Formats: sequence, C-alpha cells, structure tokens
Amino acid sequence: MPAWQDFEPFIVSGLALGGVYALSGVGLVVLYRATGVLYLAFGAVGAMGALIAWSMSHAGLPGWAGWVVCVAFGGLVTLGYGMVFGPLLAQRDPLVKAVATLGLTLILFGAMDLLWTTGGGQSRAITLPTDSGGFTVGQVQVNWTQVIALGAGVALTVGTAAFLRFTKLGTAMRAMANDRVITATLGVPVRRVEAAAWLGCGILAGVAGLLLADLVALDATTLTFLVISSLAAALIARLRSIAVTFAAAIAVGLIHDLLTPITALTNYRDMTPFVLAIVALLVMSPRRIMTRSREEA
Amino acid sequence: MKIFTLAQRRQRAAGTAWGVGMARAAGTARGVGMARAALAAGTARAAGTVTLGVAAAVVAAVLAGCSSSSSSTPNSGTPGAAPSSAAAGSGGGGSTVSTSQCGSKPGTPATGTPIALGSIVTDQPGTSFTDIANMANAYFACVNANGGVNGHPIKYYIATEQTNPAQIAADARQLVQSDHVVGIIGNTSIIECSIDSSYWAHLGYYVIDSGIAPECYSTANSAAVNMGPRYSSDGAVQYALSQHVSKVVFDQSNVPGTGYIAAGPAALAAAAHVPIVQLTETVPIADANSVAIKEVDDAGPNGAVVLNFTPPEALVILQAAQKLGLEDRVKLWGCSTPCNTDFLAQSLGPKWNSKLFVNAELTPPDSTNTAAMNLYKAILAQYGKAVQGGIGSFSQMGFTEAEIAVHALESVKGAYTTSSVNAAFKSVTDFNTGMLCQLWTYGSYPMHIPNNMDYTVTPQNGKMTTAQGCTQISSVDPQIAAYRKAAGTAALAPAP
Repeated sequence: MPAWQDFEPFIVSGLALGGVYALSGVGLVVLYRATGVLYLAFGAVGAMGALIAWSMSHAGLPGWAGWVVCVAFGGLVTLGYGMVFGPLLAQRDPLVKAVATLGLTLILFGAMDLLWTTGGGQSRAITLPTDSGGFTVGQVQVNWTQVIALGAGVALTVGTAAFLRFTKLGTAMRAMANDRVITATLGVPVRRVEAAAWLGCGILAGVAGLLLADLVALDATTLTFLVISSLAAALIARLRSIAVTFAAAIAVGLIHDLLTPITALTNYRDMTPFVLAIVALLVMSPRRIMTRSREEA
Repeated sequence: MKIFTLAQRRQRAAGTAWGVGMARAAGTARGVGMARAALAAGTARAAGTVTLGVAAAVVAAVLAGCSSSSSSTPNSGTPGAAPSSAAAGSGGGGSTVSTSQCGSKPGTPATGTPIALGSIVTDQPGTSFTDIANMANAYFACVNANGGVNGHPIKYYIATEQTNPAQIAADARQLVQSDHVVGIIGNTSIIECSIDSSYWAHLGYYVIDSGIAPECYSTANSAAVNMGPRYSSDGAVQYALSQHVSKVVFDQSNVPGTGYIAAGPAALAAAAHVPIVQLTETVPIADANSVAIKEVDDAGPNGAVVLNFTPPEALVILQAAQKLGLEDRVKLWGCSTPCNTDFLAQSLGPKWNSKLFVNAELTPPDSTNTAAMNLYKAILAQYGKAVQGGIGSFSQMGFTEAEIAVHALESVKGAYTTSSVNAAFKSVTDFNTGMLCQLWTYGSYPMHIPNNMDYTVTPQNGKMTTAQGCTQISSVDPQIAAYRKAAGTAALAPAP
C-alpha cells in the first residue's frame, strides 16, 4: 500500500475531474427532470465544441473566440435538437427519448471522425491560460484549471439549487418534472421552459467539453465516452437530487484517481463509475421496497 | 437538496412513480436483465432508472461497433498523370525533384496488364494506419504514370479493418480470391500478422509490411520495414540507459501483445542492472493527470519515463505532465517511434526541448537532403493527397515498402504470378531504401527484423531533430540476438 503522501496529488486530480463530472451530471439531471430526456449526446456535443475551438485556435484566431464558440456550439446544437425532436418524442418512453439522443451522438461522432481524423499520427491539444498558473499545497502542484473545474462543479450545484428553488423559471421546471400536462394547463409556457433546460444543458456540455479537453484529452472518443462517468453520478442520484449527483461525481473522480497508485487495483480503476452506480442501485432498491411494503401494509 | 418535492407529493396521490412515462419505461425494459431485477423489486421508478442506466452502459458498445466495416478498394492511382516535378519540401533544402524518376519511362503511362497488390490496414476511431497504404498507393501512382513496372501498372487494393479477427481473415481471403492479388505489401494492423500469418505461409505469400504484432517479426513470411513497438521501445529504453538513469518506468497501452513488447525493455534494463517498472494504461486515457503523476513518482528524480503509445495518447500524458509541472521531475522522458511527429513537437512546445527523446526507426525527414528523401517528398506532394499526416514516419513506411516492392517486381522475368512475385520479394537483399539506417534484406529466415538500427530524435521548438545517429538495438534483447544469429548484421546504408 502506498504511503499517504503518494495519494496527495491524486486527491487534487480526482477533485478536479470530479468537479467536471459534477458539472455534467447536474446538467443531465436538470434536463432529465425538466424534459424526461436522458441526454446521451452530452459528451459528443462537448467534444465537437472543443475540436471546433482547437481548429479556430489552429487557424490563428484568438483562444477566447474558440472557447466562446465551443460553449455556443454546445448550447445551439442541444437547443436545436430539443426544439426539433423534443415535441416529437414528448409522449414516448424515456428509454426511446434516450436512445434518440444516441442517434445524435453517432452523427456527431461520425462527423468528428471525418473532420478531425487521427490518421497519420495527428495529435491535438487545448491549453487554457489557467494551466500555467497555480500554487503548491505541500508537495502537490495545483493549477488554476483544476481549481476552476472543482469550483465550477460546486458553483453550478449551488446555483442550480437556488435557481430551481427561488426563480420563476426554476419553479416551472420543477412543476414540469412533476406533471407536464397539469403544468401546461396551469398556463406555464412548457415549450419555453423546456428550451431553457435544453439550452442550459447544452452550454454546460460546451463548458465541460472545454475543461475536459484540457484536463483529460482533446480526443473525440475520449470526450464522448467520458459522459459515462457523469451518467453514473446521475444514476447514483437516481436522476433526482443534484446534491447527491454532485457528491457522487466527486466520489467517482476521487476514487478513480486514488486507485491509480495502488498497483493491484490500478488497472481496474476505469470500472469505478460502473461499480459505484451498480452498488448504489442495489443498495438503494431494498430500502425502497421496504418503505413501499410498509406503505402498502 | 432534492429538486422536486412537489412532484413527490403528487406521485403518491397518483400511485405511480414519476408518472406514466417511467412506468412505461419499466415495461419496456423487461427484456433487460438489470431492469428485470428492478421490476422484481416492485418499483417502477427503479426500473426506469436502471433501464436508462443499462441504456447508458450500452452506449460504449454501440459506439464501438458503429464503424465496423471493411472494404477492399482498388487504387490504381492516376496512371494518366503527366510527368512533372514537385518541390521536395522544406526539409529537402528546397530542391526540386522530378517524380518522373520513379518509373523506367518518364511521362509514359503504363498500359500493360495490371499487377494486383493488396494490403490490410487498421482504420478505426483513434487508430488509423491508412496513411501507410495511401503513401504506398501514391508511390504506385507515380510509377504507373512513368512507365509502370516493365510496362505493367500496379493495381493496389487497400482493405481496412477494425481489429476484428473474423473480418481480418475475410479481408485476406477477399484480396486473394476476389481481387487476385499476387503480393501483399503495406499491411499495418494491430493484429493482422497474428491472424493471417499461417494463411500467407500456406499460400506462399511473402509479406512486406509495417509490423505491430509479434508474428510480423517472428515468422518466415513477414518482413517489416519498421522495428515495431517492441524494438522501438528497446531503442527508447536503450537511449535512456545510455544517459545513466537510475530507474526506468515503461508505460504502454493495455492492448494485446503488451507482454511481448515489455520483454525487450525488461531485458535491456536487467542487463544494465537498472530497475524497471512496467505499467499499462487503458486507452483512450481518461485520467492523464493521474497517469503522469504515477509515472513520475515511480521513476524518481534521476529516473526515466518511457512511453509506448500512439501520438494522441502520448501527447495526453506529456501535456498532463507539463500542466502539473512534472516534466523536470525526472531525468528524461522517452518514447517509441509513434511520438516521432512534428504534430507532437508543435503541440508540446519548447519545454520539452532536449527533455523528450524519441526513438526514430526511419531517417528523420526534416534534416535529410538525399535523393530518396527528396523523391519521397515530391511524390507525397504530387500524388499523396490522401496521406492525411503528410511528412512523417507513417508515410515514410509506405514509401519504403512500395519502393522495395517495385524494386523486387522489376527483377521478375516473365509473368507476374503469385509465385514469381513472392519469390522476388523474398530475394530482396541489401537494398538501400534511403529511409533506413541499414540495407534491407528479406531472405529465407525463420524470423525477420531487418530494421534493427535506429535514430533518436528530440523536439526543438516544434520540430523533431536528431539527438543520436544510427545506433544498433542491443542484442541483449533475445529476439534481436536470435535474428542476428540467423541473418547477421546488415551493413550501414550509404546516402543514396
């Protein structure tokens, strides 16, 4: 077993990764609750936005322009998908809605494979200005991008909770999650509320794509699949609680990275999100059965 | 901090969990094992969540399978192209080389019976070796436009695969039985040699390839122009050991064949009495920061970290190290051949100047101004539009394989049959490719590692530059020793 100080740098990297997973997970949960759609294209949208940002930077445009376009791309594509397919699929099962977003994932994935080929050994990277600055905690170097990643996760969780609780739009989203038909009958502009949810989720996809491209890798496959860790966090929270989603995302990032220095487990660390999600689902189910049994009795 | 307390109250009143939609989802999920378990537990909500969880889990499988297709495309280049010349590129000193010299009749398109050659290359998300076959095709197009081989144009079939054994076996049979290829050149695949080596041996094909799998080097019917991951890793570790590092951390992709690759560096480190730590990473790497930290921690301040990854994965690790300020926490960083690309040097920036040392299996193109190198650049410029990576190791390999094949084909007297073509391939001896340290020989040996002498390059402000000239890979690696025992040591190649 490694010494404690061997784990210290992994706590920093795990928290940063967990912060971005939280960012993504909260976006997924809010969209799911407002629209009933589990947005599997979250990672692919962020990946494509990040690749567009890279292309712009590569073409000599200022970095900030690329970041803005990346975030805008995420928002627009997601909003566009939501506006076109949301109403068409509104009455379908959640599983159908989720699989439909898989179609968008595949389209984007194919486009990225076509436009940003990996043939010939091309390698790409996004470097944010915050990478070069930072501070040291003990022996561990912490850069500002890592701080921003964790801070964004915390800020978004708190901000979203406050938004849902204290704003009119947030209340409308909560009502729609409860019952779309009744909410519409009460005069809530359902389409507009859904559009806000789609746009917000898309913007988060863009932000997450940019941060993950910097923290992890600018690679279509990697970024597309990273959504699975966020999905695991959302599933642990049963697609309901943003606080639990945040905690689960941090746990996924931390546990994943803390397993790295443990030689016997290091090759299994990528299983972390799946194992945590399965364990959470198994542990939580019996409790609910008991509760329900009592209620029925 | 649950979002929807309002909703929960209404659910109870309605007697359903999250309304009709989720209950429907539970019904839909009956065929799914995990959803069944949830249904048995009697909670529609859980079933809905689990169903979506299963849907999320299958995303990976669906995406992985989405590009599973193979194709065998005839590419006969542009036989009608007029003779011309092209600038050889910056590395060529700006000299202009006529591409007409790649054939025996400059400016005269070949009109004879085509000679069908074929190749199988991996082409999947994250791993594409198509540049190698595409460069070979560019060379053949040049040959076809300038008289062909004894008047015959070359018709080149490129089959792509996605690391599927059944597909690879089918590709080989399609090339032979449907496309009637008489020779195989340009194969570059993660597992093709392992799958097809006995098939080629059975049919009497002597393959000229870019090797990856062990069988590309350890069998009688395959001879590679490159050193492949094992011997290139040997070269990178050998350079690190020559710099008197106290420890080596060797990290590579967790793919089939890692044990075979790791054996070479392990033997070299053991002979030098330097401890070595062997690591493997699942690719694509999703936690580069932790990988970089672990490597540096394991190596220590006087140690070396040697990577054996594709350029994107290596870049991910090196950039993570840079962002965390780890690049100077070890004595040096090393990498096998895939890192030898200006893309990587440009992406890394000057912090890695003379800090990263990359094994180079082929002559560095930027600093070389020879006839062969200039012809390569000229053909690439004129015929290589499909070569996406441009100048680099992959296209150099394709050029080298094609020029060896054409050299061999020119020696054939009579009809171009499977027998005559493969006999010619096998007979290639001491051929100066202009791209390798040594003269290249196929020969009748039970194994083939004809390229076993290499360069070391290092990034200098966005370009890879030579740090060490031609150096033999140590015979401490038992495979290298076995090959040299069988075939001897090839002479250094004079500048062509």
